[in-house]
Amino acid sequence: MRNQNDSSFADLDWSMVIIYFLLVGLGITNIYSSVYDPEHPALFDQITQHGKQITWLGISLFLGITIMFLETSFIKKYAYWFYWVTIVLLVAVLFTPPVNGARAWFGIGAFGIQPAEFAKIGVALALAKYLSTTDHLRSRGLQIKFSLLPGITFTRMPLPALLMLIIPALLILAQPDAGTFIIFTSFILVLYREGYAGNILLFLIIAVIIAVITLVVADSSFMIPGLKIKLSGKTGIVLSLVTLSIIFYFLIRSVVLPRNRPPLYRALIGSLIVAVIFVNFIEIGYSKILMSHQKERIDLVLGKIDDPDGKGYNINRAKAAIGSGGFFGKGYMKATLANENQGHVPMQSTDFIFCTWSEEWGFIGSFSLVLIYTFLLIKMIVIAERQRSDFTRIFAYCVTGIFFYHFMINVGMAIGLAPVIGIPLPFFSYGGSSMMSFSILYFILLKLDAERKVVLQ
Amino acid sequence: MKNMDNRKYVIALMVLLVSLIFTVRLFYMQVIDDKWKDRAAEISENKVITQPARGVVYDRNNEKLISNVVYYDLRVVPNQARNIDSVSLVKLLDISMEEYVKKMNAARKYSKRKPSDLVTQIPPDEFSLIAPELYKYPGVFEIERTLRVYPKKCGAHVLGYMNEVNANDIEKNNYYKSGDFIGRMGIERYYEEVLRGQRGVKYYLQNAIGVETERYENGKYDTLAVQGKSITLGLDWELQAYGERLMQNKLGCVVAIEPSSGEILAMVSSPAYDPNLLVGRRLGENYSILEKDTLLPLFNRAASATYPPGSTFKLIMALVALQEGVITPESSFPCNKGLVGCHNHPTAGSVSDAVKMSCNPYFYAITKRIIHQGKSPNGFKDAAIGQDIWHDYVESFGIGTDLHVDFPGLSRGFVPNTAFYNDLYNQFGWQFETIYSNSIGQGEVLVTSIEMANVVAIIANRGYYYYPHFIREIEGQKAPEIYHQKNYTKVDSQWFAPIVDGMWRVVHEPNGTGSRARLDSIAVCGKTGTAENFKRINGVNHQMTDHSIFSAFAPMDKPQIAIYVYLENSGFGGTWAAPLASLMIEKYITGEISDTTKENRILNANLIPDASDILPPKQPKKRNR
Repeated sequence: MRNQNDSSFADLDWSMVIIYFLLVGLGITNIYSSVYDPEHPALFDQITQHGKQITWLGISLFLGITIMFLETSFIKKYAYWFYWVTIVLLVAVLFTPPVNGARAWFGIGAFGIQPAEFAKIGVALALAKYLSTTDHLRSRGLQIKFSLLPGITFTRMPLPALLMLIIPALLILAQPDAGTFIIFTSFILVLYREGYAGNILLFLIIAVIIAVITLVVADSSFMIPGLKIKLSGKTGIVLSLVTLSIIFYFLIRSVVLPRNRPPLYRALIGSLIVAVIFVNFIEIGYSKILMSHQKERIDLVLGKIDDPDGKGYNINRAKAAIGSGGFFGKGYMKATLANENQGHVPMQSTDFIFCTWSEEWGFIGSFSLVLIYTFLLIKMIVIAERQRSDFTRIFAYCVTGIFFYHFMINVGMAIGLAPVIGIPLPFFSYGGSSMMSFSILYFILLKLDAERKVVLQ
Repeated sequence: MKNMDNRKYVIALMVLLVSLIFTVRLFYMQVIDDKWKDRAAEISENKVITQPARGVVYDRNNEKLISNVVYYDLRVVPNQARNIDSVSLVKLLDISMEEYVKKMNAARKYSKRKPSDLVTQIPPDEFSLIAPELYKYPGVFEIERTLRVYPKKCGAHVLGYMNEVNANDIEKNNYYKSGDFIGRMGIERYYEEVLRGQRGVKYYLQNAIGVETERYENGKYDTLAVQGKSITLGLDWELQAYGERLMQNKLGCVVAIEPSSGEILAMVSSPAYDPNLLVGRRLGENYSILEKDTLLPLFNRAASATYPPGSTFKLIMALVALQEGVITPESSFPCNKGLVGCHNHPTAGSVSDAVKMSCNPYFYAITKRIIHQGKSPNGFKDAAIGQDIWHDYVESFGIGTDLHVDFPGLSRGFVPNTAFYNDLYNQFGWQFETIYSNSIGQGEVLVTSIEMANVVAIIANRGYYYYPHFIREIEGQKAPEIYHQKNYTKVDSQWFAPIVDGMWRVVHEPNGTGSRARLDSIAVCGKTGTAENFKRINGVNHQMTDHSIFSAFAPMDKPQIAIYVYLENSGFGGTWAAPLASLMIEKYITGEISDTTKENRILNANLIPDASDILPPKQPKKRNR
């Protein structure tokens, strides 16, 4: 066996280290620009957000180096321990006084810690350990079978793995922190890669499409051309689904062998019934159950309401900031909207950090940043796939999923493609907890990856 | 697990798909679609207009007629003013609660973060009471604006007023933006572009609550405001104010011109009003009160009313007859009342006599000679030729023509020509007997008071005039060249002597019709006029009390002032208009009034027509003095 120290760094993926420092460095200079205060111009001034972010970077690097010197076996061995510690913290945080309406923070002086950020690490480690140590596909006792529809067996899900996800997710929802809660759905990607939830992903995509269409036409009505009959939007969708099913019926009849047809017919009828129920469910949920402000957020993304100075204030200012950047941008420190002093774009150093960047660096900058994150995510998939250790692969996919969701929702929100959900852009947004939790995930991944050959020996 | 390996491609594909969607979206937002750039400019940039100070207007003695005073607008930022005590604020600002609520709602609707007007145009004296209390109302603050002030409180008709531009103004001239003020009448309107200057623009960046944070691009696109030019008028404010005082409780107008320059010394229209009424936040209220007044105080009679000139017109008839050679200064005509009514007086033995006694048959006779010069054996054809000769002469005195007065809304008089009568009575369907009323200033001929004041100035100058004008200097520069050129009538200067002599005798000789215009120290030359007039009431023409008219200039040899006084429905010209004119002349030349009895008589007279001035119906019969 080689010397542990040697192995830690011999196979270290230095390109990942470079990306880390690139993103963190760009992030801090961007925060510096977005909150620049002439009275506190120093980069390291601890009153400023960039100063604090550098401190958080220092702490994160310390944690990262510590991780690099840990033994891989230690990480694997105590994976469940990490998990339980984060669960305890999530329970404990519910007994703190609320800040901005949510019990999400442990305050330490001027700094605050969000246990929800660390719960992601705990879940990732625990999930990796559980899925890598059991042959779940064969241990029937612990599975639930999804066979909602006659004819289609969805798949079997390992119950403990689901509970592992659901418990912290519900605790986070209780804070409430809807943003981080949504991040937990990223673990579906992991389950998918590991052989579960195959059709669920497809099912989810179709469901999202139907849901969006339903929401768009929910309050509207239309006339059938030629006939003087007025129909609601919902009826229109149901009619479309029926028409689609009839087309599929004829397709099946003309293509598929007669003996293979019956199960497909059953699946078709079942899907149609489920889809119609789903449409009604969404429609009723939207118009009867959702609170008005929740409806507004959805309507804003769907473009059903336009209220640039009221309900759509945040997103309108964010889009104006990004759009006004043009091709080349306004130049560093020259943002006129996404800037603390101008204050047009809210939370421009945290949730809307992408605005400052895109306003100052234009399309060149925003495209570059999208490229960097895309490269990082693909690189993570490559890293995951080159592992021979199941634990490392599963953990790598957890990290990939978390980063992917943060990137997708944070940027999507700023450019008006996703509802406003307050979650940070990894390594870019100001915030100590997210900086540390992303760093820990990242360095554990680096450590595990650096030892990908050790595992074999 | 082999079969699951392909799933890595699905995941990678999802990542790439999301990135592709983001890239396309970003490219569209940042490069193709300009909507967000406009939106960003709207949000983050603020244009601050600096309004230049409007030019000051001085009178001929450098007294300020119009200057500027700082008024205050109170503005409110709804978000900051959420918890203010509205009850006490309403009391402080002296507005109604409904109005306050209305304004606040409008402000909120416009923007919660940006200021909107709450109360505008608060005069400085009222604001000094409000200012110390304002600290109690966060979100309410004042901005200064300059408005016009008319320190002499006179000359409303001359100076005009200002109010906010309307959609029409903005369409006509793209300089104006909603909320700007524009000169509406008089000098304010005519010299709008000189007085207003050029506004300056500064571009700022503003933050989310609308506070300016820095100059946009270091002021690269800013422009400086150009101050409006000050102008000096030929008007004499003391004469103007005195005229308005004398004209109180009378309808009509006075126009006084300096014959040697054409400068208008005074232009009084009565009833007048204090020009300061049409400044500030009571403008609309006061305007509608003035507008509803049946005596039409907003109507500028001096510039826009056309009247029959009555006997003052005879001066022109005499001059034309002399120039045409149809009479000599010594021509005599009997006072034949069979032709046209007259009063009892000795026979006029000369033109001078005729002017002095205002003999109607005399002027009937000489005008007939002008119209019928025997150029055609046919009387009708002869009249047609003569009428145009007459018409051209009268127009050469400026009547019915463009006098190039620097004043908006001027009317022109009317001098009928052959074509006009052809339309009225068919060609060759008329001759002098049809239209004889013109000879004594009745009939179809109409004049404005500026035109007639100019006629008096022509006589004072013995044959020429300068276009009447208000402007004297524009910031040290002389009035435009057009006002320095002499304009000659078609009557040679030699023919003016007998007329001037007659006008002197009007005032100074026992039988003269205008003896009330006599002044001990100044040789006043004048001519009375008494114009019959009719008013249509319920579709029936009623004869009204005559208009009382007087034209005069003084002193007889180096004339300093030419004046035309027109008092509606006040009776004989010598009774009211003549003494009023003499008071004006004395005031202008000597600066004081020697005969206070005369002055008090005029000041105390109430000549505003009422029901008793509608005379009982009778056969219209021309009588004129």
